[in-house]
Amino acid sequence: MIILGIESATSQVGCAIGGHEGVLASVHSSRGRRHAENLAPQIDFVRKQARINLDEISVVAVDVGPGLYTGLRVGVATAISVAFGLGVPMIGVSSLDLLAYPVRHCTKLIVAAIDARRGEIFHANYRQVPGGVQRVSNPSVGNPEDVAAELLAHGHEALMVGDGAIRFADIFANLRGVEAAEPSMAYPSAASLVQLAHAKALREDFVKPSDLKPVYLRKPDAVEMDQQNRKHV
Amino acid sequence: MTNNLTLGIETSCDETAAAVVADDNTVLSSVVSSQVDLHARYGGVVPEVASRAHVTLVAPVVAQALVEAGVEPKDIDLVAATRGPGLVGSLLVGVSAAKALSLVWDKPFKGVNHLEAHLYSCFLEEPELELPLVVLLVSGGHTILVSMEEHLQYLILGETLDDAVGEAYDKVARYLGLGYPGGPAIDQLAVHGQNSIKFPRPMINEGYDFSFSGLKTSVINYVRQHPEARTEDIAASFQEAAVEVLATKTKRAAIQINAKGVCIGGGVAANSRLREAIFDICLEEDLHPFVPSRAYCTDNAAMVAAIGWRRFRQDGPDPLDLGADPNLRLPCLSLMP
Ligand SMILES: [Zn+2]
Repeated sequence: MIILGIESATSQVGCAIGGHEGVLASVHSSRGRRHAENLAPQIDFVRKQARINLDEISVVAVDVGPGLYTGLRVGVATAISVAFGLGVPMIGVSSLDLLAYPVRHCTKLIVAAIDARRGEIFHANYRQVPGGVQRVSNPSVGNPEDVAAELLAHGHEALMVGDGAIRFADIFANLRGVEAAEPSMAYPSAASLVQLAHAKALREDFVKPSDLKPVYLRKPDAVEMDQQNRKHV
Repeated sequence: MTNNLTLGIETSCDETAAAVVADDNTVLSSVVSSQVDLHARYGGVVPEVASRAHVTLVAPVVAQALVEAGVEPKDIDLVAATRGPGLVGSLLVGVSAAKALSLVWDKPFKGVNHLEAHLYSCFLEEPELELPLVVLLVSGGHTILVSMEEHLQYLILGETLDDAVGEAYDKVARYLGLGYPGGPAIDQLAVHGQNSIKFPRPMINEGYDFSFSGLKTSVINYVRQHPEARTEDIAASFQEAAVEVLATKTKRAAIQINAKGVCIGGGVAANSRLREAIFDICLEEDLHPFVPSRAYCTDNAAMVAAIGWRRFRQDGPDPLDLGADPNLRLPCLSLMP
């Protein structure tokens, strides 16, 4: 089984190829928001490094978000098209799961947090379980202050991971027992994506390209305003 | 199987479209999934809503285009997609999809200029059109008068200085409470009205540039001052003023460049009064008129595939690191003196 993983939900864009043998090659870039320019050449580069022909790919995994809309869509549109073009199934993985997975050896509560702009974060909580992590709260979008208040109220010891944790480090810095993962962990990795997707692929946890949907967590502004207006009328 | 098959993808605004075209004019399939219903309640295209819809629609639309053309991926020789101008989030979906397909099918990729695609849409149905041509490109985003003396070489004679003509239609329609999209609504209503109100014809005798903002404002002022006026008459009179400006300048341009024919393209080229007026000026000046069928006036991917193949033949493929350009301009020679 050969899995191509595509990850572009944050300011970083990247991809990896792997399978039963683990990750064979991966690449990431984060400079200058060039998701659409960089992704297709990255896939070509990674498959050459892994010495894989594209028609050997049996599954396309993709980070479905939440994340920055434009970058996320470049990754999802590319992944859907690769899967459709090759006639293979897909696996969608949450960006927050991808952040929590590499810190799975931490026994504290893990809070994955992605910078959602407008002073907000996309976030979810995780707990260590044998062989990985389990999500213990629904992915949501909100103020970092509210997340910090929640941690304080429950007296949780926690590890914060993700660019949202770094962006709002000052809000979490004074909480007792709350620490931040190192900056090298701040972005979802395509290698983690391939590893998580491998486990799902063994369980045949597939979706068709036509059924794969990005996770936005916010409605488009115009839709939000329209619904508010209708409520008030 | 026919040679030179291009798969075209178009996602620059609110239509998700894919088409398979042989060489540069034989359309084997042209599938358009319109999102107009998604945007109607907001009175215009909402970029984020459009981008989200493109992501879920692009692969099914491509699949349908291949099925309707009766071809398989291995038969495709080129994958082309609109890279600009348009809404950046929407453009990126089509460009990303096309580059992915180009990569996995091991076929060359070509990024297409949406305006150039519209210019060439008349050749889909009339491949033997003789140059030089004057092409009037009219849509919700553009009003451009182009002289095409040789293939793939253009002179921009004039452009709008403010609102595009389609934008003026939409704004007037919204003011009249006709909903969105405004063009077809005004067109249908105008049939039942009288051209009885004398609205201004901005810049009609000055050069080739256009200005529709003043016309829109005088329609709105007139309605304010004459609440009793029939909406049908307002629609007919507004349409008459807009079309007269477009047709008059197009005719003058055709005479100046000694054109053999006149073409129109873009969404407003589906307007029935404009189509009539183009036939009229061509009859007067003994020019060859060409108005594409309505399906090729509005956004479609057949025109993208067609110009993609022409450009690929002349300039070769584009690299896979090509991005979208929301402000892409028509590639042109120099401005007229
Ligand atoms: Zn258009």
